[in-house]
Amino acid sequence: MITLALRQCAIALLSLSVVPLALSASAAEVNEARALYHYQMFCQGCHTPDGSGNGDIPALKDFMGHFMNTDQGRAFLVRVPGSATSKLDDQELAEVLNWCLAEFAGVSLPVQGYAPYSAAEVSVLRAEPLEEIEQHRAAVLLDIVKQRQQPAL
Amino acid sequence: MMSFLDRLFEQKARGVAQSSSRRGMLKKLGGALAGVAAVPLLPVARADHHGGPAPAKPQEQGSDTDCDYWRYCAIDGFLCSCCGGSANSCPPGTEMSPVTWIGTCHNPADGRNYVISYNDCCGKSSCGACLCQRDEGDRPPYRPDKTNDINWCLGTASATYHCSAAVVVGVAFAE
Repeated sequence: MITLALRQCAIALLSLSVVPLALSASAAEVNEARALYHYQMFCQGCHTPDGSGNGDIPALKDFMGHFMNTDQGRAFLVRVPGSATSKLDDQELAEVLNWCLAEFAGVSLPVQGYAPYSAAEVSVLRAEPLEEIEQHRAAVLLDIVKQRQQPAL
Repeated sequence: MMSFLDRLFEQKARGVAQSSSRRGMLKKLGGALAGVAAVPLLPVARADHHGGPAPAKPQEQGSDTDCDYWRYCAIDGFLCSCCGGSANSCPPGTEMSPVTWIGTCHNPADGRNYVISYNDCCGKSSCGACLCQRDEGDRPPYRPDKTNDINWCLGTASATYHCSAAVVVGVAFAE
Protein backbone atom coordinates (compact mmCIF):
# COMPACT_ATOMS: atom_id res chain seq x y z
CA MET A 1 0.00 0.00 0.00
CA ILE A 2 2.75 2.38 0.97
CA THR A 3 4.61 1.47 -2.21
CA LEU A 4 1.56 2.30 -4.27
CA ALA A 5 1.08 5.55 -2.40
CA LEU A 6 4.73 6.46 -2.92
CA ARG A 7 4.44 5.72 -6.62
CA GLN A 8 1.29 7.81 -6.98
CA CYS A 9 2.88 10.62 -5.02
CA ALA A 10 5.97 10.54 -7.20
CA ILE A 11 3.86 10.58 -10.38
CA ALA A 12 1.83 13.51 -9.08
CA LEU A 13 4.96 15.45 -8.20
CA LEU A 14 6.45 14.69 -11.58
CA SER A 15 3.29 15.88 -13.32
CA LEU A 16 3.37 19.10 -11.34
CA SER A 17 6.97 19.63 -12.26
CA VAL A 18 6.43 19.27 -16.01
CA VAL A 19 3.71 21.93 -16.40
CA PRO A 20 5.58 24.81 -14.78
CA LEU A 21 8.68 24.04 -16.81
CA ALA A 22 6.70 24.22 -20.05
CA LEU A 23 5.04 27.53 -19.19
CA SER A 24 8.09 29.13 -17.70
CA ALA A 25 10.14 28.81 -20.86
CA SER A 26 8.51 31.96 -22.24
CA ALA A 27 7.77 33.62 -18.93
CA ALA A 28 11.43 33.50 -18.05
CA GLU A 29 12.13 35.73 -21.05
CA VAL A 30 10.29 38.66 -19.47
CA ASN A 31 12.74 41.04 -17.86
CA GLU A 32 10.42 42.84 -15.43
CA ALA A 33 12.49 46.02 -15.16
CA ARG A 34 12.92 46.34 -18.92
CA ALA A 35 9.27 45.58 -19.63
CA LEU A 36 8.13 48.14 -17.07
CA TYR A 37 10.46 50.74 -18.57
CA HIS A 38 9.16 50.09 -22.07
CA TYR A 39 5.59 50.26 -20.81
CA GLN A 40 6.33 53.60 -19.16
CA MET A 41 8.06 54.98 -22.24
CA PHE A 42 5.73 53.77 -24.95
CA CYS A 43 2.35 52.87 -23.44
CA GLN A 44 1.73 54.55 -20.12
CA GLY A 45 1.38 58.06 -21.51
CA CYS A 46 -2.03 57.10 -22.91
CA HIS A 47 -3.02 53.90 -21.12
CA THR A 48 -2.09 55.42 -17.71
CA PRO A 49 0.21 53.88 -15.08
CA ASP A 50 -2.22 51.18 -13.95
CA GLY A 51 -3.55 50.39 -17.42
CA SER A 52 -7.00 51.72 -16.68
CA GLY A 53 -7.05 54.00 -19.74
CA ASN A 54 -9.01 57.19 -19.95
CA GLY A 55 -12.03 58.29 -21.94
CA ASP A 56 -11.48 57.20 -25.53
CA ILE A 57 -8.31 55.36 -24.58
CA PRO A 58 -9.21 51.72 -23.96
CA ALA A 59 -8.50 50.10 -20.63
CA LEU A 60 -5.95 47.30 -20.52
CA LYS A 61 -6.84 46.60 -16.92
CA ASP A 62 -9.16 43.64 -16.45
CA PHE A 63 -9.98 43.71 -20.15
CA MET A 64 -7.09 43.01 -22.52
CA GLY A 65 -7.14 39.30 -21.65
CA HIS A 66 -10.42 38.88 -23.56
CA PHE A 67 -8.45 39.29 -26.79
CA MET A 68 -6.47 36.14 -26.02
CA ASN A 69 -9.56 34.02 -26.71
CA THR A 70 -9.20 34.13 -30.51
CA ASP A 71 -6.46 34.37 -33.10
CA GLN A 72 -7.95 37.62 -34.37
CA GLY A 73 -7.92 38.96 -30.85
CA ARG A 74 -4.27 38.03 -30.32
CA ALA A 75 -3.46 39.70 -33.61
CA PHE A 76 -5.37 42.84 -32.64
CA LEU A 77 -3.15 43.58 -29.64
CA VAL A 78 -0.09 43.49 -31.90
CA ARG A 79 -1.60 45.24 -34.94
CA VAL A 80 -2.88 48.35 -33.15
CA PRO A 81 -0.61 51.22 -34.18
CA GLY A 82 0.73 51.80 -30.68
CA SER A 83 2.17 48.29 -30.80
CA ALA A 84 2.84 47.66 -34.47
CA THR A 85 4.59 50.96 -35.23
CA SER A 86 6.41 51.42 -31.94
CA LYS A 87 10.18 51.62 -31.99
CA LEU A 88 10.40 48.45 -29.89
CA ASP A 89 11.87 45.49 -31.73
CA ASP A 90 9.92 42.23 -32.00
CA GLN A 91 11.40 40.69 -28.87
CA GLU A 92 10.83 43.82 -26.82
CA LEU A 93 7.27 44.18 -28.07
CA ALA A 94 6.47 40.55 -27.28
CA GLU A 95 7.98 41.06 -23.84
CA VAL A 96 6.00 44.19 -23.00
CA LEU A 97 2.76 42.62 -24.26
CA ASN A 98 3.36 39.53 -22.11
CA TRP A 99 4.19 41.76 -19.17
CA CYS A 100 0.99 43.78 -19.68
CA LEU A 101 -1.07 40.59 -19.80
CA ALA A 102 0.43 39.34 -16.55
CA GLU A 103 0.25 42.75 -14.90
CA PHE A 104 -3.08 44.13 -16.03
CA ALA A 105 -5.35 41.55 -17.67
CA GLY A 106 -6.45 39.99 -14.38
CA VAL A 107 -9.90 38.44 -14.49
CA SER A 108 -10.22 38.93 -18.25
CA LEU A 109 -7.65 36.24 -19.07
CA PRO A 110 -9.03 32.99 -20.53
CA VAL A 111 -9.68 30.45 -17.81
CA GLN A 112 -8.06 27.77 -19.97
CA GLY A 113 -4.82 29.78 -20.07
CA TYR A 114 -3.03 31.30 -23.02
CA ALA A 115 0.23 31.10 -24.88
CA PRO A 116 2.48 34.12 -24.39
CA TYR A 117 3.54 36.06 -27.48
CA SER A 118 6.79 35.16 -29.15
CA ALA A 119 9.01 37.51 -31.12
CA ALA A 120 8.32 35.46 -34.24
CA GLU A 121 4.55 35.80 -33.86
CA VAL A 122 4.82 39.52 -33.21
CA SER A 123 7.07 39.97 -36.22
CA VAL A 124 4.47 38.55 -38.59
CA LEU A 125 1.47 40.30 -37.06
CA ARG A 126 2.94 43.80 -36.78
CA ALA A 127 3.71 43.82 -40.50
CA GLU A 128 0.05 44.65 -41.04
CA PRO A 129 -0.86 47.58 -38.78
CA LEU A 130 -4.56 48.30 -38.45
CA GLU A 131 -6.14 51.36 -39.98
CA GLU A 132 -9.84 51.18 -39.10
CA ILE A 133 -9.06 50.39 -35.52
CA GLU A 134 -12.37 51.02 -33.77
CA GLN A 135 -14.42 49.04 -36.28
CA HIS A 136 -11.94 46.19 -36.25
CA ARG A 137 -11.89 46.13 -32.45
CA ALA A 138 -15.66 45.98 -32.29
CA ALA A 139 -15.75 43.11 -34.79
CA VAL A 140 -13.09 41.15 -32.90
CA LEU A 141 -14.92 41.55 -29.60
CA LEU A 142 -18.21 40.55 -31.19
CA ASP A 143 -16.63 37.34 -32.45
CA ILE A 144 -15.33 36.59 -28.98
CA VAL A 145 -18.78 37.12 -27.47
CA LYS A 146 -20.38 34.87 -30.12
CA GLN A 147 -17.80 32.18 -29.52
CA ARG A 148 -18.59 32.18 -25.82
CA GLN A 149 -22.30 31.84 -26.49
CA GLN A 150 -21.81 28.69 -28.54
CA PRO A 151 -22.64 25.56 -26.56
CA ALA A 152 -19.70 23.34 -25.77
CA LEU A 153 -19.39 20.39 -28.16
CA MET B 1 2.53 -3.05 20.22
CA MET B 2 6.14 -2.17 19.39
CA SER B 3 6.75 -5.54 17.80
CA PHE B 4 3.62 -5.08 15.70
CA LEU B 5 4.90 -1.69 14.47
CA ASP B 6 8.35 -3.16 13.84
CA ARG B 7 6.84 -5.92 11.70
CA LEU B 8 4.61 -3.50 9.86
CA PHE B 9 7.44 -1.12 8.97
CA GLU B 10 9.76 -3.97 8.07
CA GLN B 11 7.16 -5.41 5.69
CA LYS B 12 6.51 -2.07 4.06
CA ALA B 13 10.20 -1.21 3.84
CA ARG B 14 10.91 -4.56 2.18
CA GLY B 15 8.01 -3.95 -0.20
CA VAL B 16 9.39 -0.58 -1.20
CA ALA B 17 12.89 -1.99 -1.57
CA GLN B 18 11.65 -4.76 -3.86
CA SER B 19 9.63 -2.51 -6.13
CA SER B 20 11.88 0.53 -6.44
CA SER B 21 15.50 1.54 -6.79
CA ARG B 22 17.49 4.28 -5.07
CA ARG B 23 18.42 5.70 -8.43
CA GLY B 24 14.78 5.76 -9.55
CA MET B 25 13.75 7.54 -6.39
CA LEU B 26 16.51 10.10 -6.84
CA LYS B 27 15.33 10.71 -10.40
CA LYS B 28 11.73 11.27 -9.32
CA LEU B 29 12.75 13.44 -6.43
CA GLY B 30 14.92 15.53 -8.75
CA GLY B 31 12.03 16.00 -11.15
CA ALA B 32 9.77 17.09 -8.35
CA LEU B 33 12.34 19.55 -7.01
CA ALA B 34 12.86 21.01 -10.48
CA GLY B 35 9.12 21.53 -10.75
CA VAL B 36 8.98 23.28 -7.41
CA ALA B 37 11.89 25.48 -8.44
CA ALA B 38 10.09 26.48 -11.63
CA VAL B 39 6.86 27.53 -9.94
CA PRO B 40 8.05 31.04 -9.04
CA LEU B 41 8.76 31.66 -12.73
CA LEU B 42 5.13 31.19 -13.75
CA PRO B 43 3.52 34.17 -15.45
CA VAL B 44 1.24 34.87 -12.51
CA ALA B 45 -0.73 38.08 -12.22
CA ARG B 46 1.09 40.76 -10.32
CA ALA B 47 -1.78 43.19 -10.11
CA ASP B 48 -1.01 44.11 -6.53
CA HIS B 49 1.98 46.22 -7.46
CA HIS B 50 1.08 48.05 -10.62
CA GLY B 51 4.03 49.84 -12.04
CA GLY B 52 6.51 47.79 -10.06
CA PRO B 53 8.34 48.93 -6.97
CA ALA B 54 8.07 52.51 -5.86
CA PRO B 55 10.44 54.62 -7.95
CA ALA B 56 13.72 55.54 -6.35
CA LYS B 57 13.68 59.07 -5.08
CA PRO B 58 16.06 61.26 -7.05
CA GLN B 59 18.55 63.52 -5.37
CA GLU B 60 17.52 67.07 -6.04
CA GLN B 61 19.69 69.86 -7.26
CA GLY B 62 18.65 73.25 -8.62
CA SER B 63 15.36 75.11 -8.54
CA ASP B 64 12.20 73.84 -10.19
CA THR B 65 11.40 77.40 -11.27
CA ASP B 66 14.48 77.46 -13.53
CA CYS B 67 14.23 76.20 -17.07
CA ASP B 68 17.54 74.39 -16.70
CA TYR B 69 16.23 72.28 -13.80
CA TRP B 70 17.10 68.69 -14.65
CA ARG B 71 13.54 67.36 -14.97
CA TYR B 72 12.69 69.87 -17.68
CA CYS B 73 15.06 68.42 -20.29
CA ALA B 74 12.25 67.70 -22.70
CA ILE B 75 9.62 70.25 -21.71
CA ASP B 76 7.91 72.78 -23.95
CA GLY B 77 5.58 75.12 -22.10
CA PHE B 78 5.05 77.26 -19.03
CA LEU B 79 6.47 75.87 -15.81
CA CYS B 80 3.73 75.10 -13.29
CA SER B 81 6.18 75.87 -10.50
CA CYS B 82 6.02 79.52 -11.64
CA CYS B 83 2.22 79.47 -11.87
CA GLY B 84 1.14 78.49 -8.36
CA GLY B 85 1.86 74.77 -8.69
CA SER B 86 5.10 72.79 -8.62
CA ALA B 87 7.06 70.39 -10.77
CA ASN B 88 4.74 67.65 -9.46
CA SER B 89 1.41 69.43 -9.12
CA CYS B 90 -0.97 71.73 -10.92
CA PRO B 91 -1.93 75.22 -9.77
CA PRO B 92 -5.29 75.55 -8.00
CA GLY B 93 -8.20 75.69 -10.40
CA THR B 94 -6.55 73.50 -13.03
CA GLU B 95 -6.76 69.79 -13.72
CA MET B 96 -3.79 67.52 -14.47
CA SER B 97 -4.13 65.65 -17.72
CA PRO B 98 -3.98 61.87 -17.23
CA VAL B 99 -2.70 61.52 -20.79
CA THR B 100 0.91 62.59 -21.05
CA TRP B 101 4.03 62.41 -23.06
CA ILE B 102 6.96 60.68 -21.48
CA GLY B 103 10.70 60.98 -21.86
CA THR B 104 13.88 60.52 -19.90
CA CYS B 105 16.16 63.07 -18.24
CA HIS B 106 19.60 62.73 -16.73
CA ASN B 107 19.87 63.87 -13.12
CA PRO B 108 23.37 65.29 -12.58
CA ALA B 109 22.95 65.15 -8.80
CA ASP B 110 22.91 61.35 -8.65
CA GLY B 111 24.07 60.47 -12.14
CA ARG B 112 20.97 58.45 -13.00
CA ASN B 113 18.47 58.74 -15.83
CA TYR B 114 14.83 59.01 -14.84
CA VAL B 115 11.57 58.52 -16.69
CA ILE B 116 9.69 61.81 -16.63
CA SER B 117 5.99 62.29 -17.35
CA TYR B 118 5.13 65.72 -18.72
CA ASN B 119 1.61 66.32 -17.50
CA ASP B 120 -0.15 69.40 -18.78
CA CYS B 121 -2.38 71.30 -16.38
CA CYS B 122 -5.61 72.34 -17.97
CA GLY B 123 -8.73 74.41 -17.40
CA LYS B 124 -7.39 77.96 -17.31
CA SER B 125 -5.85 80.15 -19.97
CA SER B 126 -2.10 80.00 -20.50
CA CYS B 127 -0.09 80.89 -17.42
CA GLY B 128 2.39 82.99 -19.37
CA ALA B 129 5.22 82.71 -16.81
CA CYS B 130 8.52 80.87 -17.17
CA LEU B 131 8.22 79.69 -20.75
CA CYS B 132 10.68 76.83 -21.13
CA GLN B 133 11.51 74.94 -24.29
CA ARG B 134 14.29 72.35 -24.19
CA ASP B 135 12.97 69.53 -26.36
CA GLU B 136 15.49 66.73 -25.64
CA GLY B 137 14.10 63.63 -27.28
CA ASP B 138 11.24 65.56 -28.84
CA ARG B 139 10.08 64.02 -32.08
CA PRO B 140 7.90 65.36 -34.91
CA PRO B 141 4.13 64.88 -34.61
CA TYR B 142 4.24 61.78 -36.79
CA ARG B 143 5.46 60.12 -33.59
CA PRO B 144 2.63 61.53 -31.49
CA ASP B 145 3.63 59.77 -28.27
CA LYS B 146 7.02 61.46 -28.40
CA THR B 147 6.20 65.01 -29.39
CA ASN B 148 5.68 68.01 -27.16
CA ASP B 149 4.24 70.14 -29.94
CA ILE B 150 0.66 69.10 -29.31
CA ASN B 151 -1.76 70.10 -26.60
CA TRP B 152 -1.71 67.26 -24.09
CA CYS B 153 -4.91 68.41 -22.35
CA LEU B 154 -6.55 65.12 -23.23
CA GLY B 155 -8.96 63.34 -20.94
CA THR B 156 -9.57 66.50 -18.95
CA ALA B 157 -12.81 68.45 -18.57
CA SER B 158 -11.25 71.37 -20.42
CA ALA B 159 -8.74 71.27 -23.25
CA THR B 160 -7.42 74.73 -22.40
CA TYR B 161 -3.68 74.56 -21.67
CA HIS B 162 -2.32 76.37 -18.62
CA CYS B 163 1.16 75.00 -17.75
CA SER B 164 3.29 71.84 -17.64
CA ALA B 165 4.46 69.70 -14.73
CA ALA B 166 7.31 67.19 -14.83
CA VAL B 167 6.64 64.17 -12.66
CA VAL B 168 9.26 61.49 -11.95
CA VAL B 169 7.84 58.11 -12.94
CA GLY B 170 10.84 55.91 -12.21
CA VAL B 171 14.43 55.14 -12.96
CA ALA B 172 15.22 54.49 -16.61
CA PHE B 173 16.27 50.94 -17.48
CA ALA B 174 19.91 50.82 -18.52
CA GLU B 175 19.79 49.20 -21.96
